[in-house]
Amino acid sequence: MSTDLHAPPVLSTPAEYIFEDPDSSSALGKENRPERSDDELFGVYEIARTAAEIKAQNWGRVALQFPDAMLADAPWVVEALNRELEKSQHSGSNSVSKSIERGASGGTQPEQNQNIRLYILADTSYSACCVDEIAAEHADADAVVHYGRACLSPTARLPVLHIFTRQTLDYNAVTKSFVQDFRNKETRVIIMADVMFQEHVAPVCQTLKSQGYSNVVATEIIRDPSSTIPNRSLPSLDPVSAEKHDYDLQEYHVFHISTPPTSLLLTLSSRLASLRIYPTSSSPYTTIASLPDPSATSSMLRRRYALVLRLATASIIGILVNTLSVKNYMSTISTLREQIAAAGKKSYTIVVGKLNAPKLANFAEIDGWVVVGCWESGLVDQDGLFKPVITPFELALAMQSDESRIWTGEWWGGIEGVKSEAYSSTEPTESQETVQSETAEDVDGRVDEEESEPPVFDLRTGKLVSNSRPMRVAIRSSHSAANGTQSNDSTPRTQPNGSAIVKRGTGEIALVNGVASPGAEFLRSKRTWQGLGSDFNPGEDEESSVVEEGRSGVARGYTVGQEQARS
Amino acid sequence: MVNFTIDEIRGLMDKPSNVRNMSVIAHVDHGKSTLTDSLLAKAGIISTAKAGDARATDTRADEQERGITIKSTAISLYGTLPSEDDLKDIVGQKSDGTDFLINLIDSPGHVDFSSEVTAALRVTDGALVVVDTIEGVCVQTETVLRQALTERIKPVVVINKVDRALLELQVSKEDLYQTFLRTIESVNVVISTYLDKNMGDLQVYPEKGTVAFGSGLHGWAFTIRQFAIRYAKKFGVDRNKMMERLWGDNYFNAATKKWTNKGTHEGKQLERAFSQFILDPIFKIFSAVMNFKKDEVATLLSKLDLKLPSEDRDKEGKQLLKAVMRTFLPAADSLLEMMILHLPSPVTAQRYRAETLYEGPPDDEAAIGIRDCDPKGPLMLYVSKMVPTSDKGRFYAFGRVFSGTVKSGIKVRIQGPNYTPGKKEDLFIKAIQRTVLMMGGKVEPIDDMPAGNIVGLVGIDQFLLKSGTLTNLETAHNLKVMKFSVSPVVTRSVQVKNAQDLPKLVEGLKRLSKSDPCVVTSTSDSGEHVVAGAGELHLEICLKDLEEDHAGVPLIFSDPVTQLRETVGGTSSITALSKSPNKHNRLYMVAEPMAEELAKTIEEGKISPRDDFKARARILADDFGWDVTDARKIWCFGPDGTGANLLVDQTKAVQYLNEIKDSVVSGFQWATREGPLAEEPMRSVRWNILDVTLHADAIHRGGGQIIPTARRVLYAATLLAEPAIQEPVFLVEIQVPENAMGGVYGVLTRRRGHVFNEEQRPGTPLFTIKAYLPIMESFGFNADLRQATSGQAFPQMVFDHWQLLPGGSPLDKTSKVGQLIESTRKRKGIKIEVPDVSNYYDKL
Repeated sequence: MSTDLHAPPVLSTPAEYIFEDPDSSSALGKENRPERSDDELFGVYEIARTAAEIKAQNWGRVALQFPDAMLADAPWVVEALNRELEKSQHSGSNSVSKSIERGASGGTQPEQNQNIRLYILADTSYSACCVDEIAAEHADADAVVHYGRACLSPTARLPVLHIFTRQTLDYNAVTKSFVQDFRNKETRVIIMADVMFQEHVAPVCQTLKSQGYSNVVATEIIRDPSSTIPNRSLPSLDPVSAEKHDYDLQEYHVFHISTPPTSLLLTLSSRLASLRIYPTSSSPYTTIASLPDPSATSSMLRRRYALVLRLATASIIGILVNTLSVKNYMSTISTLREQIAAAGKKSYTIVVGKLNAPKLANFAEIDGWVVVGCWESGLVDQDGLFKPVITPFELALAMQSDESRIWTGEWWGGIEGVKSEAYSSTEPTESQETVQSETAEDVDGRVDEEESEPPVFDLRTGKLVSNSRPMRVAIRSSHSAANGTQSNDSTPRTQPNGSAIVKRGTGEIALVNGVASPGAEFLRSKRTWQGLGSDFNPGEDEESSVVEEGRSGVARGYTVGQEQARS
Repeated sequence: MVNFTIDEIRGLMDKPSNVRNMSVIAHVDHGKSTLTDSLLAKAGIISTAKAGDARATDTRADEQERGITIKSTAISLYGTLPSEDDLKDIVGQKSDGTDFLINLIDSPGHVDFSSEVTAALRVTDGALVVVDTIEGVCVQTETVLRQALTERIKPVVVINKVDRALLELQVSKEDLYQTFLRTIESVNVVISTYLDKNMGDLQVYPEKGTVAFGSGLHGWAFTIRQFAIRYAKKFGVDRNKMMERLWGDNYFNAATKKWTNKGTHEGKQLERAFSQFILDPIFKIFSAVMNFKKDEVATLLSKLDLKLPSEDRDKEGKQLLKAVMRTFLPAADSLLEMMILHLPSPVTAQRYRAETLYEGPPDDEAAIGIRDCDPKGPLMLYVSKMVPTSDKGRFYAFGRVFSGTVKSGIKVRIQGPNYTPGKKEDLFIKAIQRTVLMMGGKVEPIDDMPAGNIVGLVGIDQFLLKSGTLTNLETAHNLKVMKFSVSPVVTRSVQVKNAQDLPKLVEGLKRLSKSDPCVVTSTSDSGEHVVAGAGELHLEICLKDLEEDHAGVPLIFSDPVTQLRETVGGTSSITALSKSPNKHNRLYMVAEPMAEELAKTIEEGKISPRDDFKARARILADDFGWDVTDARKIWCFGPDGTGANLLVDQTKAVQYLNEIKDSVVSGFQWATREGPLAEEPMRSVRWNILDVTLHADAIHRGGGQIIPTARRVLYAATLLAEPAIQEPVFLVEIQVPENAMGGVYGVLTRRRGHVFNEEQRPGTPLFTIKAYLPIMESFGFNADLRQATSGQAFPQMVFDHWQLLPGGSPLDKTSKVGQLIESTRKRKGIKIEVPDVSNYYDKL
């Protein structure tokens, strides 16, 4: 059958686009990848330490997760690891001849090594900084070795060994740049580095101290994204005092070696006095393409605030699941749902894999998105996105009432630390007032519908928005049902108790708990094209086309009519 | 003491034929509030002694301080005609008894607050136009008069500050007459220019009693009618005939004891009747009092049969003059009389106003209720503005009952400006808690209010932003949304000093946007809270209110910024093509500039997406030279579905096109809201969809594929069509004496201003200069002008139009426009470089 096809069917993406990565993550081309010797790579990928760890933990199946940029080194790493494992196993035993078979799917590649099997994980489902546990579980792995820079978000299921891939650093250049940035030797500075450069932090710190900088502090890596400086701990200043955080971070400046991801930049800028970056030329595997300007963070934060306000009057919010491994992501999703429901809005939970503009624009009903993901990937570049995408931290702000929302410039991208109790945006004064007004004498008039909720003022456009809380009625009616006191006004007339058959009005949409589904409402009121049959409007003087038989079958090859000819 | 009770007023409300709703309108500083004072004094609301200085309708502290009116203020008065006889002079309408209810609204005169005038005019039927004797008809007089006429409001005129002409300029009687004549002529020119044929002749004539002369400060005024009544007996002629004789070229020849219309008799110049019979006594009083001739004053008083109250007898100079003139010709009497006799009652006015007020068909229940001003008809009430209550953060909804009766406690349908019958959007149901009568700064509770009256409503402020329609009829359409003559084009951003105060700022912004008909508060995409006002003064007042009153927390204001619009200068050099992310759908478009008149017409709402598409196509084809097929295939307006950008479908026989229309429209709204140059809204651009190729399977041409692609192709087409920036331009009118004109020209030239008209005011050394001044250059213009002319020039600025910003292409970083774009992008925190067209344009 397939022999008939001379060209791939229209559905497939043309070949020239296959390697075009729409994301900004800079996969390095072959040409600008620095040539490295085996010894160097041995050091970069910490083969010996990995092998020792695998042995020590007695893992049988190990998944090796590479970011796209390092994928080219993956076969070499596997081979080297195997060699190393064998060596430590016992050099005397016969080496089993290995059949290196390439995985047809390009995804995983099993490697034989007596009882230790290694798998390569590529094309991570969400973001390269996170551990892809689901893919590892497909290979039934006992543990994951994650290469490259990582967000160090805690994982739920599997033990993880992070290999940050060591990079070299020119100490002299760093010191020089440091001295340029901080003339005053008394300045309090915290030195931190991207995980790949972490090993250099302590030596740099020593060098600077020897040059007379007395208040320089080095950081160490811990796995706690919600600590004051994400994933970093600060040594106690004064060795005598047992207090760990005995300094006011607002007085400290940060000197960051290599370019930090934007979300870290935003987080740090609010927590510390200022931020200097030492751009590392030799960081081929970092994900950031262009150097962000630390002075631009305030305007970036302001733009985030604008997004928060957009979500504040959204009626439908999509919860975008962008991780399947970060610990507590399930509980976070349910917290978000509660928050959104408490604010009287509708939420839909959606998984799209790696997110991009076209995928999100498919859901035209949704007014805004909140991303559940690791703290680095939570910050989504808004450029080209149809609707705003914010982090859970920002959502908590957006769901607050205008009376309590405070924007201090503090910012956090992750799901850690999202408060579990749902904010209630009901203003007590307002509800009291409503009750009062309802007790006002009922004078006969022609209008006998129930009173509406007051509209919400949209801070973005300066207009009143009536549909920002579509689910409010549900909350109200359930409340009143529970109280049983105000049954007169809010028990919806739409719930007939009798079993009599009620004719459904045309154009009416289904009600759930007395509330019309916001999605269905959108379809009815906002979409002009509602399916087949509306192409021809009797009002317009267009001629309808002649009905003819169309194509049928599967996408691989359609048939027209009864004949078996392909079109 | 107030000489009427609320019950009396309530009683009069039931007789709509005895109600007069009127606003006082004029140029700034022509004396509206001062004149209003004398009416209030008559009603006993303020003491007679204070009238003229109190400006009781300026209820805010800053209004008193600055001496200008900022908010319009409504007040109800009780007026009585002296005799049944006078009722006969009410032409063309019936009345019921000699008692009248006058609902008066004093409005601001400064051009920045024109929106307050618009809101006042909507709820009234007549207007008292105040004109300064010396300054004559000024730009704002013309503006408000034009607005009144488009709302079908009948004007009467009072020429104010006559005392200044007498005391300061020492003009002769004939000169004064000529000044009056000229002023009245120029008012009539404006009236006839904007005349609505359905209204009949609205010009004002002193001999018909529709013009009064007086001095608000001194509390006196007269109409020809009053003098005619005095003289009618003496001459034994009918008073209407007498009125005609007392104006114009009519002379009384003392020698022949005959009336004549020739100015000379036997070579001798005769004195004009107006001068002889009206101005003469006034001039005599002035000279006698001001020259301290006590005896002469006494004889004059007895001649005129006037008795001064005892406390006034000992006064001298101006004080005495005030007392005498006020007793001789009390302003309130003549003004009340003029308003009662010549302004229409709601019953009369609504008959011809109904069709311009109501959006729906002219024969439905609501329209008939309005037309007949029927208190038993369906409720139709227009809320024209919100008035702050003493309860902080709450507002009275201020409006006019056009039909039906509004009561405390009834549930009403509140229809916002975007409401369309049959849909739920912008529709709320709410019970009115209380109805009140607005009395200047105070309110009086009242149980109900029948059609034809002006009312304040409590309890519905949360449902209305600025204005809206209240009704109890399910099928009712909206009452027409007001069109303002000013636009919020000057903006400043606001920040809190202390982050903890943000909620208060947000609350303050909400209140601010309610409290003013024109101000717009919004948040930019760069996260700044922005307040937009009509001019620098307006914005200054709004921000002061915001900081001191509405928010009550310390704030930081940015410098004033003007809004910009992105547009195109030519047609796209090549057809723009963009492919969807999956490469299976292609959109082809070109952009081209729209005629400026069309853009203006759209912005004025004369062509709107709500029109019937066939009627709209006809207008586009006839007035703007569009191809009829194109004109019928307008997909949408944008941004926000109403702006002055159009998307036209020029495709032929594209399959599934209807299916992607929604997605393309979404992309269009998105792109027009944030243009490619600096994320500023776009304006005056027309895009034509030339062709579309779509994937055969619906799933591959969904919103996700089309929306971003539509935006990209619109951007590509724009960038290929000589993108440009438009800036708003003020129309400036400056009154300046000849010797200071050089300074004015100097300042204007430095600020890219362009003078297009200069004329001398007849009889004065004053010149009126009209010029266009880019708003961007107007900040600090007033101060600059004051300095350059040592305070002799008075400018009035009002937004006029958009113009292309000169100075090169925005894509050229070295040009002035390019630098402006760059700084705007920087301020907004977006990438500094304007994206190249290759980001949006795909190769085939």
